[in-house]
Amino acid sequence: MRHLLLLGMGCVIAAPLSAQGDVTSAQGDVAVTIYQNGQSLVQDTRQMNLPSGRSKQEFPDVSAQIRAETVTLTGPGIGIVEQNFDYDLLTPAKLMEKAVGQTVTLLRTNVATGAESRVRAKVLAANGGVVLQIGETIEVLRDDGLPVRVIFDKVPPNLRARPTLSVTLESKGGVTPTTLTYLTPGLGWTSDYVTLFDDAKQTIDVQGWVTLTNNTGTDYTSADVLLVAGNPNQGGNRRVYQTPYNGSTGTIDEAGTESNDRERLGDYYLYPLGERTTIANAQQKQVSFLDVKSAPARNTYEFNNGWLATNEAASAASVLKFSTSKGGGLGDQLPSGTMRVYMRDKRGDPQFIGESQIEATPMGSTMSIRTGEAFDVKVKTVVEERTRINANRWKTRMRYEITNARGNAITVDIGQNGLWGDVRISEQSQEGKRVSADRVEWSVPVAANGKATVTATFDSRY
Amino acid sequence: MRGLTALFIMLSAAPVAAQTVVVSAEPEAVSLTVYRGEKYGGQSIDPNWPTGYALVTETRTLMVPAGESVIRFEGVAEGMFPESAIVTGLPKGVKEKNRDARLLSPLGLVDAYLKRQVTITRTERATGKTREYPAMITSAPGGAVILQTGDGYEALHCTGLPERMAFAQVPTNLSAKPTLSVITQSDKPVTAKVTLTYMASGFDWEANYIAQVQERGKEGKGKVDLFAWLTLANGGNQSFVNANTMAIAGKPNRVARGPQARPTGGGLRLKCWPTQRTHEVPYRPGYLPPPPPPPPAPIAYMDSESDNIIVTAQKMRRESFASAAPVAVVVAEQEDLGDLKLYRIPEPVTVNAKGQKQVAMLVKPGADFIHYYGASVQNYAMQSTPMTLMLRGKNTSEKGLGLPMPQGQMMIFENSKYGPLLTGETTLKDRAIGEDVEIAVGSSADVRIQVKPQSEKANNQRWEIKVTNARSSPVNIEVEIPYELRGKSKVVSKIDGVPTWKTTVVGNDSATLMYDIKLERN
Repeated sequence: MRHLLLLGMGCVIAAPLSAQGDVTSAQGDVAVTIYQNGQSLVQDTRQMNLPSGRSKQEFPDVSAQIRAETVTLTGPGIGIVEQNFDYDLLTPAKLMEKAVGQTVTLLRTNVATGAESRVRAKVLAANGGVVLQIGETIEVLRDDGLPVRVIFDKVPPNLRARPTLSVTLESKGGVTPTTLTYLTPGLGWTSDYVTLFDDAKQTIDVQGWVTLTNNTGTDYTSADVLLVAGNPNQGGNRRVYQTPYNGSTGTIDEAGTESNDRERLGDYYLYPLGERTTIANAQQKQVSFLDVKSAPARNTYEFNNGWLATNEAASAASVLKFSTSKGGGLGDQLPSGTMRVYMRDKRGDPQFIGESQIEATPMGSTMSIRTGEAFDVKVKTVVEERTRINANRWKTRMRYEITNARGNAITVDIGQNGLWGDVRISEQSQEGKRVSADRVEWSVPVAANGKATVTATFDSRY
Repeated sequence: MRGLTALFIMLSAAPVAAQTVVVSAEPEAVSLTVYRGEKYGGQSIDPNWPTGYALVTETRTLMVPAGESVIRFEGVAEGMFPESAIVTGLPKGVKEKNRDARLLSPLGLVDAYLKRQVTITRTERATGKTREYPAMITSAPGGAVILQTGDGYEALHCTGLPERMAFAQVPTNLSAKPTLSVITQSDKPVTAKVTLTYMASGFDWEANYIAQVQERGKEGKGKVDLFAWLTLANGGNQSFVNANTMAIAGKPNRVARGPQARPTGGGLRLKCWPTQRTHEVPYRPGYLPPPPPPPPAPIAYMDSESDNIIVTAQKMRRESFASAAPVAVVVAEQEDLGDLKLYRIPEPVTVNAKGQKQVAMLVKPGADFIHYYGASVQNYAMQSTPMTLMLRGKNTSEKGLGLPMPQGQMMIFENSKYGPLLTGETTLKDRAIGEDVEIAVGSSADVRIQVKPQSEKANNQRWEIKVTNARSSPVNIEVEIPYELRGKSKVVSKIDGVPTWKTTVVGNDSATLMYDIKLERN
């Protein structure tokens, strides 16, 4: 009798299992807006056949990392009563805990003969080992290490296979397009720029690629994808502004003030993907968003001396300078990302020469990308003389020796920092530019395979 | 059928309870008032470890027999503070109130059966035959169970044989879960309606705001539609069905709890030569299990066709979503409770075990806010850095607000061609009526600030601020200069004691300010 009954139940269970065989998602028309801080806004419009009046609707196939507190459900004629996110998950331990006080079936298998025997047992407690009452005696489940199957009569009502989102709503009834909106981490994008520098023509070709990464644990099938360049604030208030160094990578020389007709969201720029795409879980996807050919660029060299001190010859930095302005530049905003710079070798194959992080850059900015150290361009700094003028002031004479082992003439920008306070330059071999109280810069031409020297005398309080 | 003669002296069992035990399995009606936990640095609720607490009031009907009886209350929150429990409605009141945390477990059984007889059943692996032996437990369960059998002394589970212990009965003083019980008396059997009130940990709540920013008007003026959820979490294993549910904003004083009776119990941990045995059910004296395991990752599937997609700005496939906030038909009602604010969910709701629930608590469309871009020169950077887009409003009815705003998380949405989309997330502290409400939305790549030192004299520093605006429309900016400035300026005025450069930068242009800081030198 019992066997027949079990078989019957087996058939009932089998049907829905086979129906799950083909992977159909409950997701509807999905729009995903992806931010650069790893957060994404998912808007999932499902055609739901709602009963008239109040009903509780469950929403499967949402992001496995859904931030439940951010859920919003909207739709014509829909009023929300409450939203619930339940995460009491069905596990063997939970099943046993919830069976305390109830009766279960034990199926013991004789290790030698294979004979099975069934007994009913009452679960008395589950506190680190399950205490059972079997007939008149009290035992601990599987205390002897022999095989015992525990068969539960039913699954407790509140335990779920996975965290479940449900919304109780009021509706007039009928098929209604309902939009479920929520935030999820685990889906983000960055931009990667491929910059090919032509030394002879002094131009760059720049391609921008969006790199999307999905680690949400969920696929978004045929999604309408919108990328937002910008970081929505997370936390912070009036006195806690974005710290200045945060995100500042020193690639913007002069911030631009140009704007174009690119679509915006508040202070961010929007990059819609032209076609629907499927973002599979654990997938990285690259999409092109910028392609500029032959924008003017020039390579220069830069050397920073942090202090009035003697240092042995060190390489100057190779710097690529260009503009993002409409006239004579890339003519677009640049979302933050990584810029990789390539040059063609003698055979014409592009080779990697360095990369730099860039921050979100307005249109019309002048930029400097530091790609690495120049092997052939070195600067030596020497303190030639340091004398005390009076009780308060010192005189320091500096010499900067620049060597160029390259076969072409170059220009090196020498920067002397550490002029904090009221340091005066009493004498210099060529006119410098005091860009701030702290720093002076000289732009020094150096002949092919040549040398150049700059001297300067500083009058300082230390 | 314990075949052999009992060789051992039986010690008397635990004192037999003189009272009748009445078990009250579950409440008929329950009301739940949730208080907030401390949230440092504006963090949100951890649903697996809610740090607030709740006041639970339950009504139970039970039969009280004549004479002295013990009433056990089951189905209470595991995080109950037993010292806070109040039981009213018993005919002769409460004689004694006990919270027993001596739990029925393998460890508890062995402990209770020390120097008492148990039955050992051993199974022969070859034949499957079982044999039963009487044995006496002679050691406390600290790492081993030593049994006295007819053959001498042996260690349990160190024989290599499958062996299990059977006990004659459950020790009366062990319970399956930590249990609150009261001892009461009655002259005659009565049906009593009892109210049980207690405080319990493992709950929390906060507000979750959705701020939808409407179009920016002239001079940065704009409207914001505010909506808020009351989000409450129950981290315990007890559900509260059809509970009259409330939440309290404000901070009632709490003092540290005294030392608590720690639950006893757990599995046997036998330090023996290895055997194969696992206890699937972890022993948890607290009310919360470890976080649930992450769900298994679905199989990634191959995607071959969609690798080369060119972004075009023209196509628009997404239908416009009208609103970021939902339409709520049930909204929690706010009332004052002394110096606290109480939010009452107007109809009973079920607060599930390990569940997070949201009910609307605030619907306030069309509040007045001003947009501006803020920065402080305190941590100056010579590099151009983004400024922060701020929204400033006032919690008054003239400005479209004028209601208590409890602490919580806020999502900010702005309209785009694609409907309202997220532009920022922030946290909000409790805001009483009349207070300023300031919201930091996010940083702007287009409105930037650059601060450069210009010169320094003995007691004077000259600086330059340059703000660039790559937006095509004018923007309001406020730059804090938290130093003592020289001279007077029309554009610099003090806001909350801090000199602030307040101006408007026209579209696609920049603005500069030179200022001198007074230096104090010794």
